[in-house]
Amino acid sequence: MNYTKEIREIATRLLESGQVDMVMAWEKGDQEYQTIPFVARTVDEVNRIVCDEYAVHNLANHLLRFRDGKEKIAIVAKGCDSRGIVRLLEDNQIKRDRLYVIGVACTGVKDPLQAMKANSGFERKKDQDEGLASKCLYCIQPNPVIYDELVGEELPLPELQGRFARIEEIENMSVDERYKFFEDILSTCIRCYACRQHCVACNCRTCIFDETRPQWVGRENNISDNMMYHLVRASHMAGRCIECGECERVCPVNIPLMLINRKLIKDINGFFGPYEAGMEYVEGNKPPLSVYRENDPDDFL
Amino acid sequence: MHNCSCENPLVPGIVEVVKIIDETPDIKNFYVRSENGVPFNVMPGQLAMVSLVPVGEGMFSVSWQEENDHLEFAIKRTGLMTDELHKIEVGQKLGVRGPYGNGFPVEECKGKNMLFIAGGIGLAPLRSFIKYCFKHREDYGKITILYGSRSAADLCFKDELFEKWPQEKDTEVYVTIDNPEEGWDGHVGFVPAYLEELNPSPEGTIAVICGPPIMIKFALQSLEKMGYNDEQVITTLEMRMKCGIGKCGRCNIGSEYICLDGPVFNLAQLKQLPPEW
Amino acid sequence: MKVLKTGKLEQVIDRLAQQADVYVPMLRGQQSGFYSWKTYNEDFDDLMFDILNVYQSPKHLILPQTEKMYSFRQEGQEVSIEEVAADIEPKVIMGIRSCDVRGIEYLDEVFLTKGYVDEFYKARRDKITIIANACYNPGKNCFCDSMGVSPTDPEAADVIMREVNGGYVWDVKTEKGEAITKQIEDLLEEQDVELFSLKPFLRKVEYDGVAEKLKDMFEHPMWEKYSEPCQTCGICTYLCPTCYCFDIQVKAWGDEGYRFRCWDSCMYHEYTQMAGGHNPREAAKERFRNRFLHKLQFFPERYGRPLCTGCGRCIVACPTGVSIIKIIDEVKEAETGA
Repeated sequence: MNYTKEIREIATRLLESGQVDMVMAWEKGDQEYQTIPFVARTVDEVNRIVCDEYAVHNLANHLLRFRDGKEKIAIVAKGCDSRGIVRLLEDNQIKRDRLYVIGVACTGVKDPLQAMKANSGFERKKDQDEGLASKCLYCIQPNPVIYDELVGEELPLPELQGRFARIEEIENMSVDERYKFFEDILSTCIRCYACRQHCVACNCRTCIFDETRPQWVGRENNISDNMMYHLVRASHMAGRCIECGECERVCPVNIPLMLINRKLIKDINGFFGPYEAGMEYVEGNKPPLSVYRENDPDDFL
Repeated sequence: MHNCSCENPLVPGIVEVVKIIDETPDIKNFYVRSENGVPFNVMPGQLAMVSLVPVGEGMFSVSWQEENDHLEFAIKRTGLMTDELHKIEVGQKLGVRGPYGNGFPVEECKGKNMLFIAGGIGLAPLRSFIKYCFKHREDYGKITILYGSRSAADLCFKDELFEKWPQEKDTEVYVTIDNPEEGWDGHVGFVPAYLEELNPSPEGTIAVICGPPIMIKFALQSLEKMGYNDEQVITTLEMRMKCGIGKCGRCNIGSEYICLDGPVFNLAQLKQLPPEW
Repeated sequence: MKVLKTGKLEQVIDRLAQQADVYVPMLRGQQSGFYSWKTYNEDFDDLMFDILNVYQSPKHLILPQTEKMYSFRQEGQEVSIEEVAADIEPKVIMGIRSCDVRGIEYLDEVFLTKGYVDEFYKARRDKITIIANACYNPGKNCFCDSMGVSPTDPEAADVIMREVNGGYVWDVKTEKGEAITKQIEDLLEEQDVELFSLKPFLRKVEYDGVAEKLKDMFEHPMWEKYSEPCQTCGICTYLCPTCYCFDIQVKAWGDEGYRFRCWDSCMYHEYTQMAGGHNPREAAKERFRNRFLHKLQFFPERYGRPLCTGCGRCIVACPTGVSIIKIIDEVKEAETGA
């Protein structure tokens, strides 16, 4: 995937005409495999823009920084990123008319973070090619679901195999096995809050974990506070996670957070579905757990 | 430099609350003493960490040390810990550790006229210096106190303000409130404006100022207009603090730690720091 | 020269582990860090003496992420406090690289100097012996020599292991090192070996003059520019071998509980949030700037050296590609008004 040329042309047009104040895209970092978020505000800056195979970041999350402003923002959005934009629109975090969405049909991206790590000397050399980012393996929507302009040809929807296979394995564990499993993966958490900070669905102005009156979750790094953190966060993601996989990608201790999110996706779909978060934007629509209906299932309560 | 009463500077000693005075609807003055009197000696302007042990710790300016009898902390209700603190009764045991910070330059100010400018709870730290000056009255020149608050009910240390301090030798006390109200026949208006009206001469004078950031900002401008130079203006800063001993990191402004190098700075020193105060 | 043959490495660790808790670099599942030899399981764990470094520096062994300070009990208006005995089991940190040793030197300066000694830290530090693993082969994001660290001669090491063909030269540096060597002397061999020479660094920065120059760069537009991708998570601060900021909090149930400290990060909004509502570093840019100024200007002003050891972890692990090297470069090139 490389839409650098197309995005630069669009960015130039939008900035020159004054249609937008900034264009959110990417630029190259120090290494050939490093692509990092970048905001171009002038035509002169457009030649720094890239949109290449390492454009992994969900830029929708970067919109939050501008939520209180008035700027008109053009944003490049892959399929999953565009679902993030729908997330923000449904959550009333930004107004649709402030956005100009440059949708890109995404054939999958690689993760510059994995490439940095693989080349850092901090890991044993692996022989296999790095391949696509792990989030792309379970992608259900490579095409942007909301856009003002589309780059590339719409792609056929992938036929997913085994999207929930691992979830079902875990569901079939005994209670003790399952507890042990979660204890193992969550005991390594260092509580850096990277998963929260990089999550577009985590857009609360004051996060429950930063609340001090009362303090809902302790700051100690131990299994009970770590579990509390992850389980509370997971339940806040139910019906809201748009599967951009950023939480899992950025985790410095490799906690498989998408397993937890995908379990909730499966359950929400089962209880309230068919439902996939952020697949289309209809003004006024809310995620299933944000609305109450008389016939909502309640067997699980 | 380490003059903490306990061996481990992060572990508090226990004191008893021996008296609580309701200063205003949201400010109380707590008198605390340990078994043998004061838990440690404090110079005016120094800080101490007070803990309502099961709830939390907070850094406060010691608003007076009465000989070897007790320490006073005038504390405003602003958060979780102070809310709970305002509910306690005499006899309650608290944790306290300190003293921390540099305190006011009481020696350097000797022989000077003193101008104290305070707003709201900002009088609490200045009070320790004001009372120190009265205690060593011959060491200091003329003393002028200018104090303001939102309303008459929000004025703290009223007994001292209206009764005791005006009786002191060569001392003037001016009090103002933000808006007129029934029963108040004193001055009405903001502190900086009143300051310019009074226009105390900068000659041989040190101005000591503490209050809400907005008051400080405008009062500093007024002082500059009136001819005070940066060495003549002293203030005491507030930042979030946790350890009190310059280790935990958060109270820095530039390379200075408020808990260790502060909280008292003169304006010349402050202007060397990044504008994060 | 005394040489430890690679084949005897595990025997040496075993022996040392009889007298102390020995921490060595391991790959454990998906994690890499320093783990206790007591917990080593050869089916799952991979000893990592032979790779550049591990993701999690051993700073948690000296400054635990969470540490109980004292417990308390309240009965009516009475309160009693009992200091929690510090964890002072002797520890050996073995296989630590120069950059991380320098990290410990900086922690020592913070916690043991400038007027106050942190007793919790000191109790632990006194019982730690450092066996470093000299570095001859800098990695792709290493720049320790630019930050004044010698990759082959870590200053605070008690023993330096120097990799040679077939093993390590055992280079004793201090009395603590002598003491620990006595336990394993019979496992070392006297041998003449040729030391490797240090390979050239792939990354260099010019730190000279940066602290001075930064004094006039508080309002420089570079902070806006470089902080833009930053999402203010705490990865960089928690992986950093030198970041030491902590919070003090309480855990209480009913009338008893304990006070503890835990790592904190200057990247978090709550870090400087005051009870009255004011926050002097409200914006992401302000927190980002403070982090880098602390490392490159404020810490040097206070302690004489920059709070960065050039280990490269923050560069490798930042999800949005923030690089301290770029920031130093930019400062170096910036034109300032002064």
